[in-house]
Amino acid sequence: MAAKLNEFYKQAAQEFGLAGRIKLAMLTKISSEKAEAAEDSPENIRIFERAIQQLRSGS
Amino acid sequence: MKISTKLIIFFCGVVVLFVMLALALLAQTRTVSAGYDALLAQQVRQAEAARVIQVNFKKQVQEWKDILLRGHAPDDLARYTRQFHDEESEVRSGAAALATAVQDAEARELLDQFLAAHKTMSEKYQAAYDAYIAGGFDFKVADKMVRGQDRAPTNLFDQVVQRLNEQVVASVASQERAVRAARNLALGATGGLLAGLGLVGLLTVRAILQRLGRLKAVSDRLAKADIEGLSVDISGPDEIGQFGESMKGVHAAIEELSTLATAAGQA
Repeated sequence: MAAKLNEFYKQAAQEFGLAGRIKLAMLTKISSEKAEAAEDSPENIRIFERAIQQLRSGS
Repeated sequence: MKISTKLIIFFCGVVVLFVMLALALLAQTRTVSAGYDALLAQQVRQAEAARVIQVNFKKQVQEWKDILLRGHAPDDLARYTRQFHDEESEVRSGAAALATAVQDAEARELLDQFLAAHKTMSEKYQAAYDAYIAGGFDFKVADKMVRGQDRAPTNLFDQVVQRLNEQVVASVASQERAVRAARNLALGATGGLLAGLGLVGLLTVRAILQRLGRLKAVSDRLAKADIEGLSVDISGPDEIGQFGESMKGVHAAIEELSTLATAAGQA
């Protein structure tokens, strides 16, 4: 289970709504469904952190 | 490597190859031209000079006969004697120059023999000439003294001409063989390089088309929202790989939309 990755999705939904979740999936190339099955590896966490930052910066 | 980089490298490779081929053909043309120039400058010219000497020698003998036939008239005697000595001098200087110029040892030896025979013949002709004048222009005595004396030098010089002509024929044949060999090498190298370039180009285009085909298949499924079991397995450092990475994002977004739609439907 990728608890941390799921947290990123929840964070995106809280801050940016459904569009934020979709954009997060597009930026990370990992949907929430797949994120659940994925590992909380340092590489995946890094990708999600960067994507969240991009969402926040609006780029 | 990017497709644009591959195409630029391939194009530059083709240009460089053709420039190199053009330079090689130019160098080959110069070599062939130099070979024929050398042939014309030496052997052909020497064979031509030999024929001129051969004709001059025949004219010298003809002048001798004119002396015997018409020498009873003082004017004719003076005229034909002068022409006889002119031709004699021409033949001797020409043969000596040719003997110095020819590189073939056999031809040089024949020319040396000719010069010796010609000198002997000239001495006999001079003796016969003196007898002709002293004998009151009796051509029979003079003719008897030198009868057949021109045979040996004539035969020797015929051999010189034949030998030099054979040398020219052999050199032309050798030159033609060299040209044929160079032409075959050029054709083989050009054909090989073009075939190699064609093969590299074909394989590159085939690889690009295969990857584009896979990309199109993914794009078609995404366009139909047919994402069930879809895997975007297109990667690489080129433009197609970059497009594949973008497709992965689109795929994930459609998956996320689908998940949200399903969740909304269940709620």
